[in-house]
Amino acid sequence: MADPRKAGGTGDRPDLLTAIMFVGIGALGLWAGRDLTMGTAAAMGPGYLPRIVCSLLILVGLVVGGIGFFRAREDIVAPKLRPLSIILLSVVGFAFIAEYFGFVAASVWLLVVGSLADRESKWREVILLTAGLTAFGALVFIVGLGVQMPIWPF
Amino acid sequence: MEFLHLLALGFGEALTPMNLGFCLLGALLGTLIGVLPGIGPTATIAVLLPITFYLPPLAGIIMLAGIYYGAQYGGSTTAILVNLPGEASSVVTAIDGYKMAQKGKAGSALAIAALGSFFAGTVSTFGLAIAGPTLSSFALSFGPAEYVSLMLFGLLAATVLARGPVLKAIGMILLGLVLGMVGIDAASGEERLTFNAIELFDGIDFVVIAIGVFGFTEIIENLENVEARGVLVSKLSRLWPTREDFRKAWPAVLRGTGIGTFLGILPGGGATLASFCAYSLEKKVAKHPEEFGTGAVQGVAGPEAANNAGAQSSFIPLLTLGIPSNNMMAMMLSAFIIHGITPGPTVLQSQPEIFWGLVASMWVGNLMLVVINLPLIGVWVKLLTVPYRLLYPAILLFCCVGVYSINNRIFDVVLAAGFGLLGYLFRKAKCEPGPLLLGFVLGPLLETNIRRALVISHGSPSVFFERPISLVLLLATAAMFILMVLPSFRKTREVAFQEEEA
Repeated sequence: MADPRKAGGTGDRPDLLTAIMFVGIGALGLWAGRDLTMGTAAAMGPGYLPRIVCSLLILVGLVVGGIGFFRAREDIVAPKLRPLSIILLSVVGFAFIAEYFGFVAASVWLLVVGSLADRESKWREVILLTAGLTAFGALVFIVGLGVQMPIWPF
Repeated sequence: MEFLHLLALGFGEALTPMNLGFCLLGALLGTLIGVLPGIGPTATIAVLLPITFYLPPLAGIIMLAGIYYGAQYGGSTTAILVNLPGEASSVVTAIDGYKMAQKGKAGSALAIAALGSFFAGTVSTFGLAIAGPTLSSFALSFGPAEYVSLMLFGLLAATVLARGPVLKAIGMILLGLVLGMVGIDAASGEERLTFNAIELFDGIDFVVIAIGVFGFTEIIENLENVEARGVLVSKLSRLWPTREDFRKAWPAVLRGTGIGTFLGILPGGGATLASFCAYSLEKKVAKHPEEFGTGAVQGVAGPEAANNAGAQSSFIPLLTLGIPSNNMMAMMLSAFIIHGITPGPTVLQSQPEIFWGLVASMWVGNLMLVVINLPLIGVWVKLLTVPYRLLYPAILLFCCVGVYSINNRIFDVVLAAGFGLLGYLFRKAKCEPGPLLLGFVLGPLLETNIRRALVISHGSPSVFFERPISLVLLLATAAMFILMVLPSFRKTREVAFQEEEA
């Protein structure tokens, strides 16, 4: 992995990102569980431990962020949006296509679109791979192992 | 005699044609992913977990265990031949192993690695067979308070030994605990943290998180980092090591076995940590430490023995106490649960065939691996030439079908994609995802036991301090926490992990 660019100033960006996520998820948890009964230690309600754990998560997030704020500046390794977005898109697309059009269509989508994530993919290879893996998947998973998914849309 | 009788029972189970077949399949798959960089054993087991639904319990578990220790063998092959560790625990093997290969001693390095691993695997499997019954009869006296203290100890120890900042690891554990709370609360029947989504009432499935964080995130990360693959340096010469190499290697194998077995048992330990520690130890005790880095045979023998010993012995806390010590064991725990087995002290008595069958199969699997590895090295090296662009679409498809097949619904696939994104953000924020899985798996167990302990004590937390075993565990946890905060210890730990990355 490439070294993150070092620049002057303070603020450890990965730590600050961590803090945002920990505090954010902790707060989301507290909010989602706001109606749950607390109970007592001897008879805990469903909200007792979630509240404690979420509060601790927020606390840890604040400490990580606080320390990170004063540390020497370190940048986050720049994300490459192409693989990230294409892989996620291909997976979510797979899910919805599988629901309405069956395994074959979903698998072709997943493999063809997913292959775009690597710039080195060659069309000939992608077509052969897609045909092979789709057939293999349909035979092994759906016919062989009995995964409950229609093969064809009809 | 009881012991021999049980061992015979185990071998009877392990040697049925079906279990032998799945043991071999697991060992082969493990070697394969150990050889191929870009997919680790955690992701592989996550992908295969749903498929083991369709197998009998013991066969499925034997196969998954085979993948885990098989990867330790396979990783050494590419580390030595092309300076490319296919698996994290082989990173240090690459240092001296590759140098040996450059000197024309590749065969010798490979043989020492395989034989050292086999020896270590045999010893630590035997250790598991001996420690299992003792530890689990001890654990039978545990009440809820002891379990809570033990889990706290385990979770904190996991962060001490994990790489990366301690606070972030603690945060990831807490996050795992929160995720584990999603769903219907077992005690009150109320739904919590579900955002009223019916799909979440049963909680989030372990496989969904594991495939998201380890499958999808790993694929995205690998695509970001343009890979550089090495080339085989030399023709494979003779495989059998010289007498001189043997003489140097065997004490290192013994030390590596000891260190690996010990670190494997500790929470947070396991193969990677063991191999790194064994390398430092060999360097310290060597008469000529300057030889290290230039092809010292001890630098291959020690770490390889240690990582395999660690891989086997990390099953001890899982099988005897029901507590996973690292994220691989968290995977194994959910594999057991999928099959309706709750690992822990009672399994040994209620289902001895599971425990002893697994132990026996581990030894059989190790024997198979020596056979798979030495004569078939040429085949494995050929596989290295398969480019990642042909591999990852297949992994992607297995991940998607695997997640779908848990509950036969698309919601899980979309949720796994969400965890893929979350996992990606966490890696950008330099947070290791391992502790999250550990927290997620242990969360419900921890909550149930905390509740039970406090119900018994009428809400007084003194219950955790009044029981001696629990008190000792809590004191150990506190001591570890103080140690962690001490600057000198933190420094050693940082240096240690830097050395590992170098």
